[in-house]
Amino acid sequence: MVRAVIDPLTRIEGHLRVECEVTDGVITDAWVSGGLYRGMELVMKGRKPSDAYYIAQRICGVCPISHGHASTMSAEAALNIEIPDGARLVRNIIEAAQNLHSHVLWFYTLAALDYVDPSKALEADIAKTYSLAQAAGTSTADFKGVQAKVKALVEHGTKTGNFSIFTNGHFGHPAYAKDMPAELHLIAVAHYLEALEIQAEASRVIAIMGGKFPHFMTSIPGGTAWMPTEEKLDDVLYRLKRVNEWITNTMIPDTLAIAPYYKGALAYGAGTGNFLAWGMFAKEGGQKDLNARYLPGGFATGLKVEDADPGKVLEYVEHSWLSEGPSGLNPAEGKTVPPATFPGYNVDDKYTWAKAPRYDGKSTEVGPLARMIIAYLKGVPEVKTIIDATLAALGAPGKPEVLVSLLGRVAARNLEAKVIADWALDWTLELAEALKGGDVKFFTESTADAGTGAGLWEAPRGAVGHWMKVENGVIANYQVVTPSTWDISPRDEKGVRGPMEEALVGTPVIDVENPIEAGRIARSFDP
Amino acid sequence: MAHEGSVFYSRLAERGVSRRDFLKFCGATAAMLGLSETMVPTIAAAFEEASLQPLAPALWVNGGACTGCTESAAQSTYPNIATIVLDLLSMNYIETVMMAQGDGAEEALQKTAEANEGKFIMIYEGSVMTGLEGNTLIIRGEPSLKVLDELGPKAAAVIAVGSCAVDGGWVRSVPSTGQPGIPSNPDDWCTGVSQYFAKKGIKTPVVNLPTCPVNPEWIVAMVVDVLLLGGLGEGAPILDKLDAYGRPKLIFGQTIHDNCPRRGHFENGEFVYQFGSVEEAKGYCLYPVGCKGPQTYTNCPIVRWNDRVSWCVESGSPCIGCGDFNWVDENAPFLGRMRQVGVGSGPNNAGFNPATAAAVAGGAVVVALGAHAAGMAATGRLGGSADKEKGGDK
Repeated sequence: MVRAVIDPLTRIEGHLRVECEVTDGVITDAWVSGGLYRGMELVMKGRKPSDAYYIAQRICGVCPISHGHASTMSAEAALNIEIPDGARLVRNIIEAAQNLHSHVLWFYTLAALDYVDPSKALEADIAKTYSLAQAAGTSTADFKGVQAKVKALVEHGTKTGNFSIFTNGHFGHPAYAKDMPAELHLIAVAHYLEALEIQAEASRVIAIMGGKFPHFMTSIPGGTAWMPTEEKLDDVLYRLKRVNEWITNTMIPDTLAIAPYYKGALAYGAGTGNFLAWGMFAKEGGQKDLNARYLPGGFATGLKVEDADPGKVLEYVEHSWLSEGPSGLNPAEGKTVPPATFPGYNVDDKYTWAKAPRYDGKSTEVGPLARMIIAYLKGVPEVKTIIDATLAALGAPGKPEVLVSLLGRVAARNLEAKVIADWALDWTLELAEALKGGDVKFFTESTADAGTGAGLWEAPRGAVGHWMKVENGVIANYQVVTPSTWDISPRDEKGVRGPMEEALVGTPVIDVENPIEAGRIARSFDP
Repeated sequence: MAHEGSVFYSRLAERGVSRRDFLKFCGATAAMLGLSETMVPTIAAAFEEASLQPLAPALWVNGGACTGCTESAAQSTYPNIATIVLDLLSMNYIETVMMAQGDGAEEALQKTAEANEGKFIMIYEGSVMTGLEGNTLIIRGEPSLKVLDELGPKAAAVIAVGSCAVDGGWVRSVPSTGQPGIPSNPDDWCTGVSQYFAKKGIKTPVVNLPTCPVNPEWIVAMVVDVLLLGGLGEGAPILDKLDAYGRPKLIFGQTIHDNCPRRGHFENGEFVYQFGSVEEAKGYCLYPVGCKGPQTYTNCPIVRWNDRVSWCVESGSPCIGCGDFNWVDENAPFLGRMRQVGVGSGPNNAGFNPATAAAVAGGAVVVALGAHAAGMAATGRLGGSADKEKGGDK
């Protein structure tokens, strides 16, 4: 029995430590520690509800759109503001663009290096690489140029010790699939570089509609400050099509080409099997109704689904450094108070800045896997079609339970990108049509100055909730439960592990000095 | 001067970068640095020279960050992020994208600093977390301050990217809400890199690039200036181009209002009073709905964002002054009007209307605003107190 530690866990947003107990090559226990506390909830106090929209985005520079939307929806719920339909469509498109940006960035920039070894790309035969790309149905690239680039980097590194972002990389790690051909490694490296442009293209859609990304400017309480024109929507549509085509012709085939070499990852990484989504992409009325959403809200356990109820969320702090005050509060009444003195890191006691939210008392996973399972069980046609096709391709037709695994969590995110990419085109055309009609509205003025409400929505990495209490026009209390708070949650008051901790248990580890398999599990949540 | 057909250009061609693209990038960089077009060949030559040298090592360190500045850097187009980290710099440590994890990552950080003492660039993102004796940000079981304490003195320069690294950013506004468990002195909660270095007696020069997040084009401009035009060390050109707050004067020397494409509407008294209105659709001036452009010193209207497709004001939102010092306390309520230019009023405040005022008094408002802007610049009022009306927000 040994301890394997990853600190810092790189290729994620933020600061995370993963500590595992490894027995006979398998993880038998795990503790996940969030290293940063800034005081976001406290900075809101005494400010205007619309200020919260701008500030809350700074929780996460990778998913600011979702925090902005959840915040603005909490203000609209508290002040009883109904937004016009034009604003609903604008927000859906912006949110979709961020998801596409985030999912592309996650698969290639953050996760791929756990499955793809750039040093293997040097061994690839160029002619065979083109043949393989065609056989796999994925797009081709200047494979020779990419291989030359990798070679130049390796030569530079060998000469100077500076390998840039690959310095000290785990080239040749025994956990890489041994039978994956060098040509597939080269294809993936080429697409890794292309992905950098595609994620930036998705961000440009946000910038057109929201001023910039990260941190956008227009989804203020009441609707949107952006006023579309046909020309601007043409520009948005062109870019969304480019991203859609790349996801369809490159990212999805890449996923299906690499997955068979990691089929073992269907057997572990399941986590708690409890899934929560608040839902996202509003249909008419869907700002407040969690079921009136293209990806509906819900809670699933044992692959049985029910509607989601925010009243069932309680946050526990027994193992958190944020442990002043009572444990087990609903976020609507939640408190966040840092300790007077720092208690220190102790996995048997307090070991993280994160709290432990529980749904109906259960340790619950959020994210694309949760959304896809809930949408599948609720019968959303686009989700059902793509999941059924993928299950068939993986040799498990009609068995959605195989998705509850490391490989399933990876695949769910990429499949969701395709579903969202298609919807984003539909919504843009719908908005363009509405604009031609001429009576579409984008903003509702309000003078209300008191109330309480919750903005329940989804970030790319899972369910996000903002709870706001307004008195005399200013914020009296503000609480946030981020997606990562669910997934990186520590143990709760009963000692039950958080979802990422639970998913780590049972994962095989070859090299305890550098457990990239544990990194895979942690990153599969996109924390 | 780089010549077509040189090794350099054939290498660029291998990477899908044409000579035209490259010169476009050099031109954009020259413009950013406030250099004349005659400098473009010098920049191009500097690149060619640099391409023959080993890549300069750099370390990107995240403090109390949301990772938005790393994200922003990843949105850079000329050059794109792949070129920055593979062809311009050797970014041996950058938590968000580096291959290594855990001990391997830490070793990359330490070894690079040791082997390149006095030669590497540190890019620092996020607030310097001083709260609870530095325990509000723990990395490898220790306060993150250790990285600045130990590696800060070894760096050739630190580029503090984003408002958090410049002065603590929004995190520095937590103490002003006066709540249990939070120290009353903001310095005891978080600070910026240059203030932290001053307190610790660390002499490494710091270049401050505020806004939230940082604009990636400014990072590229700094890297080019520092690495290629010899802007490091005592008496070097880059240091002469910084203002009293450590910001490059050429980027942060003028207000948003000075360069705003909507300035003409301001002068004509054409204002937006309500979002979603006809005036908003026409792209009128956002001053009555809270625009902080008149007191915010950045070149956003020129550089714009995300491959220059748009920027905040063009999207219809007022500037929230995210490049200001202590920007949240200074500028919230973000949709509330500034006081000093507020001879008139929008629908949120009793008083008279700037549109009417402009129509009646001709350029009076414009004169008042011009005087205000000059006054702010002359008195260096950027670090001063809030000058906006209380309330008047939605």
